[in-house]
Amino acid sequence: MIELKNITKIYDLGTVKVNALDDISLSCQKGEFISIMGHSGSGKSTMMNILGCLDKPTSGSYHIDGQDVASMSDDALAVMRNRKLGFVFQSYNLLPKLTATANVELPLIYAGNKNRHQRALDALESVDIADRASHHPSEMSGGEQQRVAVARALINNPLVILADEPTGNLDTATSHNIMMLLTEQCQKGITVIVVTHEEDIAKYTQRTIYLRDGKIIEEKRR
Amino acid sequence: MSIWESVKTAWQSIFSNKLRSSLTMLGIVIGVMAVVLLVSIGQGFQQSLTTTFNNMGASALYISSSTDKTITTVRPLTFEDAQALEDKTVAPSISAVSPTLGSRGSVSYGNNNVTIQITGITPAITQIRNYQMEEGRFITDQDTTARNNVVVLGYQAALDLFGSESPIGKSLRVSGSKFQVVGTMQKMGGFGGDSYLLMPLTTMQSKITGGNNVQQIAVKAASPELVDAVIAEITSVIRARHYIRTGGADDFTIQDMRETLNSMQQTMATFSIFLGAVGAISLLVGGIGIMNIMLVSVSERTREVGIRKAIGAKRRDILLQFLIEAAALSLTGGLIGLLLALGGASLMGNISLGTMSLKAEISATIVIIALSVSVGTGLISGTYPAFMAAKLDPIESLRHE
Ligand SMILES: Nc1ncnc2c1ncn2[C@@H]1O[C@H](COP(=O)(O)OP(=O)(O)O)[C@@H](O)[C@H]1O
Ligand SMILES: [Mg+2]
Repeated sequence: MIELKNITKIYDLGTVKVNALDDISLSCQKGEFISIMGHSGSGKSTMMNILGCLDKPTSGSYHIDGQDVASMSDDALAVMRNRKLGFVFQSYNLLPKLTATANVELPLIYAGNKNRHQRALDALESVDIADRASHHPSEMSGGEQQRVAVARALINNPLVILADEPTGNLDTATSHNIMMLLTEQCQKGITVIVVTHEEDIAKYTQRTIYLRDGKIIEEKRR
Repeated sequence: MSIWESVKTAWQSIFSNKLRSSLTMLGIVIGVMAVVLLVSIGQGFQQSLTTTFNNMGASALYISSSTDKTITTVRPLTFEDAQALEDKTVAPSISAVSPTLGSRGSVSYGNNNVTIQITGITPAITQIRNYQMEEGRFITDQDTTARNNVVVLGYQAALDLFGSESPIGKSLRVSGSKFQVVGTMQKMGGFGGDSYLLMPLTTMQSKITGGNNVQQIAVKAASPELVDAVIAEITSVIRARHYIRTGGADDFTIQDMRETLNSMQQTMATFSIFLGAVGAISLLVGGIGIMNIMLVSVSERTREVGIRKAIGAKRRDILLQFLIEAAALSLTGGLIGLLLALGGASLMGNISLGTMSLKAEISATIVIIALSVSVGTGLISGTYPAFMAAKLDPIESLRHE
């Protein structure tokens, strides 16, 4: 499903070179729930960006669903993000001027799909937030916004959901609700990868990968 | 993403930012309004010129006394000079001659008083200039011989003095003397306007100006190709009558309508270039305004671009979104500017500048040009900001506050 081999990412800052990722190899199965932990600056976000096809590694190979990502054009990467990947961000990243439904419809617009409104409503329904369909982000709580964001991530039936600290801005109870929601998605066969600081959050996942200085130092399975 | 979706996205963003959108449009609104109004005024001007030219007669020539200060003796033009030109044996190419004498003067009827152009003419003038009767009759040879106190009124003069009353048969006063109105003329337009009064030349000489002189002699060539021959004939007849020796300078000038048309067209071309330049500058300013606001808009919406890219927008999608937004803004601005120009033109109606009467003529061509130019301005000024947006790095953009 996901296959990272000897991935390195080096940021060349002129005088110094930062080894953000150092020889990472990792493979994930369909429907796996994985967490990535590590101190600040350990390379978690860099890894998520590469997994999310938003960034390219300096070296190494990366396959999603058998396709080699390294050789893809920018447009092909955009299609990959649109069809096979779903993103959930710490700060929700909904477009403030659009309603919940319109936000959820956005990936469908870029996919060129019809019948978008109904599908967006269904997605909102599936994450239990249909009653906020016509609300704008500013009219919703953090937890509600994050649910809408999960609906947006799900709308194109992705293979993988990537969530970089999805509970970072939420209180404990809401955090757990969101983690339950992500657990449900795994059970439907979607691979979910979350970055977190908190062991409590990591406990929801089947497998935790610990990073330090861009290297995998430990892996725990539950 | 389809073009239609890009258009919808662009509209959403224009509508969600009403104040900024309106301010951005303002430049284009003013630009298009300026271009359309100025060009329309130019076209109205040109139309007036054409009308004037037609009214004066295409194969007409006008003789008047020379104003050249180096000529020591200038003999005035007389009624007899005009009569001499009617002699077919010396001037075979001339088909009609009419001496005229004009001055501005006050005319009153009841409490209505106007100061207008008063011209003494002979009936032959109708063969040279384009006068059409509205009501009553024109000045006759009988009026000329008998020096009758009769007048014919131009369309506007009749309206100003008599309103809705029929002027025919009524008496009015010109410079103190009583005159009877025998006819009114149709509307002519052009720069001569319709505020004039005509009376027999002989009456004008004896009652208003005194003396036997005329101011101008209008002459019609038998055909437009004979204009050069007519000039030669006039020159030899008048020189002989004014005792000008061989080698001496003419003490009169002949105004040929072909020359007049030429110089009018040159004036018109200069005028058009000037108006075009003013319009182009205002559009340029409008375009810079759009580019400026679009650049601000791109940097403000960096995060939005990042989000859109993360969920699958291609470079092309972002480029189109911003380009269409700029084009839609300027098209809307263009439409508003056009409407304002239409309103302005009809509000303006007929501007009167002295004897000139101007009207803005809005044509379909200028409407199409104005709208395409405004969309073009939007596209050109939107291109750079749109490229900036399209090439934003998604990770950097998502981090942007
Ligand atoms: N765009 C960048 N340019 C230079 N260095 C970067 C950039 N992004 C991340 N880094 C560096 O790479 C390392 C890993 O960063 P990151 O993946 O953001 O860590 P984490 O998300 O685990 O806190 C850090 O040392 C960080 O300073
Ligand atoms: Mg991070």
